[in-house]
Amino acid sequence: MTNYIVALFVGAFIGFSLNKAGLTKYNKIVNVFRFTDMAVLKFMMTALVVSMAGLYSLRGLGWITFPNIPSTYIVGNIIGGLIFGVGMALTGY
Amino acid sequence: MKFIWNYIRKEEWSPYVAGILLGIVGIAAVWISDSLLGASGAFENIAGLIGKAVAPKAFDNMYFNFIMPPGITWGVILLVGVFFGGMIGAATSGTLKWGKKDAVNSDAQWKRIFGPQVWKRWVLAFIGAIILEYAAGIAGGCTSGLAISGGMLAAPAAFLFIMGMFASGIVTALVIYRKNY
Repeated sequence: MTNYIVALFVGAFIGFSLNKAGLTKYNKIVNVFRFTDMAVLKFMMTALVVSMAGLYSLRGLGWITFPNIPSTYIVGNIIGGLIFGVGMALTGY
Repeated sequence: MKFIWNYIRKEEWSPYVAGILLGIVGIAAVWISDSLLGASGAFENIAGLIGKAVAPKAFDNMYFNFIMPPGITWGVILLVGVFFGGMIGAATSGTLKWGKKDAVNSDAQWKRIFGPQVWKRWVLAFIGAIILEYAAGIAGGCTSGLAISGGMLAAPAAFLFIMGMFASGIVTALVIYRKNY
């Protein structure tokens, strides 16, 4: 039960940060593919760097263990990514 | 205090600040409940739940039994949170358009490319979403589930996915925009 409450709060913060970065708008998403507005990349990479640094140092301290790392299967990942990009540019997800 | 409040009220943050917030949330998710962020899996969990009830034979396969077990999972609750979080974000900046006239389609750029009709937006969103979910199923995650939460664990899968995503996204944008690119 507590897990669900945590999920609700974590989700709310995700939605909030996405909204404030403008990633809920169609034009933001498409313009990154047109190289006119790089907000999506800035947002994604900042989030990646912050959480990567945080998670790896927390693991180094022995405070957390990693959950299952998404498995690599090269063809699936790339083909999935290729189809995903089409939908992303169409809808602005 | 006043400064922070004013910043929260701003409609558009610097993507760096919002990115830092998401990064901290990503750490918190792993730390507190040992789970990763993700959005697309939730739809498949719900689809599995409905499918098992409506047509149990058709949904009795490996994918829905083992890879994406149906049920109200962490991801489903997370998605509910995302919905309300986005709403709170819009409400604090005063752009919440619940029930207003141009609530469905208020994007000027979208109207310029595809036309002002609202039904077009619905149809395109529906088709695009099918493509997105299908692709996320193949790759094993979406932008948040694979690219961001896989990337923060430095999983190679995430970076392969981002490569593919941008390659075809750019091509699709080229096709849609043609001369206006």
